[in-house]
Parts: sequence; C-alpha cells; structure tokens
Amino acid sequence: MTPAHFAFSSTFTLGLMGLTFHRTHLLSALLCLEGMMLSLFIAFALWTLQLNSSSFSIAPMILLAFSACEASAGLGLLVATARTHGSDRMQNLNLLQC
Amino acid sequence: MSYTMALLLMGMVGGLVGVASNPSPYFGALGLVLVSGTGCGVLAGYHGGFLSLVLFLIYLGGMLVVFAYSAALAAEPFPEGWLSWTVAMTASSYLVGLSICWWGFFGHTDLRLGEGQVMGGWGDSSQLRGETGGVGHMYSSGGGGVVTCAGGLLLTLFVVLELTRGLARGTIRSV
Repeated sequence: MTPAHFAFSSTFTLGLMGLTFHRTHLLSALLCLEGMMLSLFIAFALWTLQLNSSSFSIAPMILLAFSACEASAGLGLLVATARTHGSDRMQNLNLLQC
Repeated sequence: MSYTMALLLMGMVGGLVGVASNPSPYFGALGLVLVSGTGCGVLAGYHGGFLSLVLFLIYLGGMLVVFAYSAALAAEPFPEGWLSWTVAMTASSYLVGLSICWWGFFGHTDLRLGEGQVMGGWGDSSQLRGETGGVGHMYSSGGGGVVTCAGGLLLTLFVVLELTRGLARGTIRSV
C-alpha cells in the first residue's frame, strides 16, 4: 500500500464514517457523499495514470457525470425537505407530520 | 516521494476529516473545497493534467457553487466551527484512528519510493500522457457511455423538477 493508496482509501472510509455517524444536517450528509465520490474519482484517475491505459480515462468522466446526477438529486431533496419541514435537520425527518 | 506530494495527500485526508467531523455545513463545504483542491494537485502531480483540470472546473465550478448556495437553506444563527467541543472531539478521534492505521501500514517500511515505482514521485512533468487523448475516446468509441450519461442527466433534471414543484403536486408534499 502506497501513500496515495492510503490517502484515497482513508478519505473514502472517512466519508463513509462521517455519513454513518451523527449527522445533524442533511446537507452535511450530502457533503460526506460528495467527499466519497471525490475520493472515488481520484482513485479512478490514479488507476488510469498508473496503468497508463488511455482508454480507461473515460471512466472518471462518467463517474463525475453520475456524481453530478447524485448531487443534484440530493440537493433537490434538500430543497423539498426545507420547504416541507422548515429546516434541514435530520431530527425533523423523524416526525410523521408537521 | 516529494514533500509537495506528501503535503497534498495530507491536505486531502485532513480536509475530509474536517468534513466528516460534523461541523456546520458552511465549514463542511470549505473542507470539501480543500479536498478537491488538493486532489487536483495530486492528479497534476501524477501527470494527469487534463483530469485535474476537469476536476477543478467541474467540481469547484459547478457543484460547490450549488452546495454553497444550498448552505443558505441550512443557515443557522450560531454555526459550529471546528473549534467547537464536539466537533473537535470527533475530528481528533478520527485523526487518532487514521494515525493508527498509518502506523500499522507504514510503521516498518521505508517511504522513500524509488523512481518509477508504484505511484511515486513527480518525475518530469513536461511529457503529455495519453489520458488527454483517452478522454477523446469518449466521443468516438465510448459514445454509448456519453449517451447514457446524457440520459441520466436529463432524467435528473426531471427528478429535480418533480421534487421541488410547489402547489401540493410535487413528490414530497406532506402539507
């Protein structure tokens, strides 16, 4: 395991742990998801550069496009919850009706 | 391994510790800016100039602007920075765990990687690698992938429009 390998795998694990434990805002959870996708992008790009295979460099671009889809859907959910519940706190989502 | 690369990798991990330690969303977005900036530097250091440019432009230009705008929705009167007690405790516990993992992986190895070894060093950065041309393959032989991505983005447009529609006709309308 090289330092770069350690860096992107630990950033992925940190994003996963931050998503799992004690979020207060929905936006912070989305930021953790974005951090995970960012570490995946860097891992894919480093894989391409390491293997010196030019045709695999399509994969990080496609991953970036799909992470844009994920981010926009999550932000749409954030706007919808902020409009129905008044704030984006995760405790508010436990309420059945408000 | 050069010191610059080590500094960039440490900035990447430290920025994600700053995101994962649950501060207010303003500071979380700031940590994500740090992660993407240093990740861009890492990719540039491994001769991936085009991919690092794509990361910088799309990520910082597109997504983080939207995130910074959405942070206004999650605004709160007393935001918690990294100096707050719980955030600092979480961040320091993550840092302790990371250093234990680092010591377990690298405690007994020599970190001075040689030339041409796996993912080590800057080398001479003047040469242009094949990844710029590889992205160009996306438009010829990888056309199916582009069409799939464009379809996904178009679908996401309608998903967002349905989610944020008002007048009690949207997807999430409990009131």
